[in-house]
Amino acid sequence: MSSPDNAAAGQVDPDLAEPIDEDPPGSTRLLDRRSFVIRAMAAMGALMAAIVGLPVLGFASVPFFRAKTPVRFISDAIPPTLRSETWVSAGALDDFDVGEPRLVLLQRDVADGWVGGVSDVAVYVVRETDEEVVTFDIHCTHLGCPLAFASGSATFVCPCHGGSFDVQGDVTSGPPPRPMVQYETRVVDGEVQVGRIAPEA
Amino acid sequence: MGRIGAWLDERLGIYALGRSFLDRKVPGNIGWWHTLGSATLVLILVQVVTGIALTLSYVPSPDHAYESVLYIDQTPFGALVRAIHHWSAGLIVLLIGLHILRVFFWGAYRYPRELAWVGGAILFFVVLGFGFTGYLLPWDQKAYWATVVGTNIAGSAPFIGGAVLELLRGGQQLGALTLTRFYGIHVWVLPATLFLFVAFHLFGVIRQGIAASPRRKPIVAPQPGESRRDAYEREYAAEKEAGKPFWKALFKDAVVALVVVAAVTLVAFLAGAPLEERANPNGIYAPRPEWYFLDLFQLLWYFGGTYEPLIIFGLFSLGAFVFLLVPFLDRGRARHPRQRPLATSLAGLVVILILGLTAVALFGTPSGVAKVPPREGMVTTQLSGLEVFNSQGCAACHTIDGVGGTGGPGLSRAGFRWDEASIRAQIVTPKDESMPAYDKLSPQALDDLVAYLVSLQ
Repeated sequence: MSSPDNAAAGQVDPDLAEPIDEDPPGSTRLLDRRSFVIRAMAAMGALMAAIVGLPVLGFASVPFFRAKTPVRFISDAIPPTLRSETWVSAGALDDFDVGEPRLVLLQRDVADGWVGGVSDVAVYVVRETDEEVVTFDIHCTHLGCPLAFASGSATFVCPCHGGSFDVQGDVTSGPPPRPMVQYETRVVDGEVQVGRIAPEA
Repeated sequence: MGRIGAWLDERLGIYALGRSFLDRKVPGNIGWWHTLGSATLVLILVQVVTGIALTLSYVPSPDHAYESVLYIDQTPFGALVRAIHHWSAGLIVLLIGLHILRVFFWGAYRYPRELAWVGGAILFFVVLGFGFTGYLLPWDQKAYWATVVGTNIAGSAPFIGGAVLELLRGGQQLGALTLTRFYGIHVWVLPATLFLFVAFHLFGVIRQGIAASPRRKPIVAPQPGESRRDAYEREYAAEKEAGKPFWKALFKDAVVALVVVAAVTLVAFLAGAPLEERANPNGIYAPRPEWYFLDLFQLLWYFGGTYEPLIIFGLFSLGAFVFLLVPFLDRGRARHPRQRPLATSLAGLVVILILGLTAVALFGTPSGVAKVPPREGMVTTQLSGLEVFNSQGCAACHTIDGVGGTGGPGLSRAGFRWDEASIRAQIVTPKDESMPAYDKLSPQALDDLVAYLVSLQ
C-alpha cells in the first residue's frame, strides 16, 4: 500500500523549488497556470476565428445588410423578376383594348450579378380607360406564382393556392395579402412605356 | 488476423478498439426498427459520393446550368448518377421521418438522450435544406418556381423577412446570384453542418448507448431515494446484461442498408431523374414542390387576409420549435407509448395531418400547368367546353379526373351532382364568394362549358 510512488505523490520535497509536471495536492498554483494556458488558447482560437470569420460572414451576408426591401411587420412577397430602371416600350396604345389585359414580353436591359444584357420580362399591360394604362407584375403577391388571366371572369388566377385579382389588381379571393405589384407606366406619343417597379402606394 | 493484418495492427493498434466497439453489449430488444438511422447514414454517404460526381460536369450559372444537366444526362452513367442522387434524397427524407417516429413513440429521447434528439432534429432541418437548395440547381421550371415560392415563404418573417429573402436570393431578384448561393450552400455549407451534427448525433448514441425498447414495467425495481442518474444506470446496466453484443444488432443495419441502396439504384435505373423544361421566368406555370414539401404547400391554401404571411411564418416556426424541443416538453419518466397517451395521440394527430395534407396535394394537384384531358366519346361542343375549362384556369381550383386543384369542389361528376341550370348559374353568378364570377364568357363559350360539365356523369 505505501509504495514509494504513492509516498512521493503525497508529499512535495521542499528542495524541489519548481516542480514542472505535477500538481502538488492542495496547491492551486499549477492548476491556475494550466487553466490560464487553456483559456489563453481558447482566446487565441476565438481571435483566429474572428479574424477570418468576420470578413467571411460579412461577404456572405452582404445581401442581408444591403437589403432594399423595406422593413415591415407583415412582410411582402418579392417578385423574382430581374430588375431594370430604364423605360421601355410595351407597344402602341391603340393596340390595347380597354379592360383587356395582355401579357407583354418587354425587352429590358437587366443586370443579374455579373450577367447583364437584354432579357425578356413578362408583364400584364391593362388599358384601364382610353388614356390610362397600368402595368402589373405577373407574380401573385401571396408567394410569387405566375398569374394566368381568365378572360371569362376578367380575373387573374393564381395556380398555386387559388388567389385571384381583378383587372385593377385588387385581391378578389384567396390568400394574397396585397394587390398586384405595379410598374410605373406612361403613354408618350401614343406609345405605352413601362419603367421600374412602382413603390407601393 | 493474417500477417498483413498483424503488421498493420502493430502500427495502428486498431484491432482491439474495433473489437471492443463491436463486442460491447447493447440492449437485447434492438431490432429492425433501429436500422432506420444507419440506413439514412448510408444514403447520406451515397449522396456525398454521387454529389461529388455531379459537380464534375455541373455549372451553377443560369445560362449553363440546365444545359450542363442535359449534358450529364447524355453522358454514360451520368443519368444514373443523377437519378441515384435524386431518389436517394427523397428516400432520406422518408427514412428520417420513420426514424423520428420510432424514436418518438419509443420515448428514446428521454434522459439522458435529449441532446441526441436535438441534434437529430437539426439534422432533419439540414436535410430539408439540402432538398430545397438542391432542386434549384437543374434550373428547370420546377426548380425556378419552387425557389420563387420557397424564398417568399422564408421572406414572410416579420421585420427581417425582406432581408432574409434577399440573403437567400442574393438580392430581390432571382437569378445568377441566387443560383451560386444555393450551389455554395448545397455543396459546402450544408455538408459541413451535416457532418458536424452527424458526428454529434453518433457521439451521443455511442456515448450513452442505444436506448432499449420501452417497457411498461422496468426490469429492475427503482429504489426509494435513488438519484435519477443511479436509477437510470442500474436500469440500463440490467438491459445490457440481458442484451446482446453490438455486432449482432449491426448485422440487421447492414442488411437494411444494402436493401435500401439496391432499391434506390434500381428505381434510379428504371425511372431516371426528372427534368422539366428549361426555367422560364416569363411563362405561366403551376409550381408544385417535391413530395416532402407538399404538406406545407397544401397548408398554404387554408389561410388568407392581411396577416396571412404572419400566420404561415408563426405556424412554421412554432412547429419547428416544438419539434426541436420535444425532450424538454415531454418530461415524464414513462417511455412506453401507452403510458403517455397525450404525447402519443398528439404525435399521431400530426402524422395524420401530414399524411392527409400530402394526400390532398398529391391527388389534387399534378405538377405543371393543370390541363384536364378529354374523356372518350366526347362530342364537339363538349370538347370546346373542355377547351374553355382549361384556358380559363378552372383547373386551378377544380379537379376533374384527378387533374386540378382543391380550392373548389371536384367536378368529375358535375353532371350527376347538379342540373344544367344550377351549373350555369354557379358559373355566371357564383354563390360562393371565393369563386370569381365568369360573367364575361361569350354565350357560345358558356354554352360549351355547361355542356361539357353536364356531360361529366
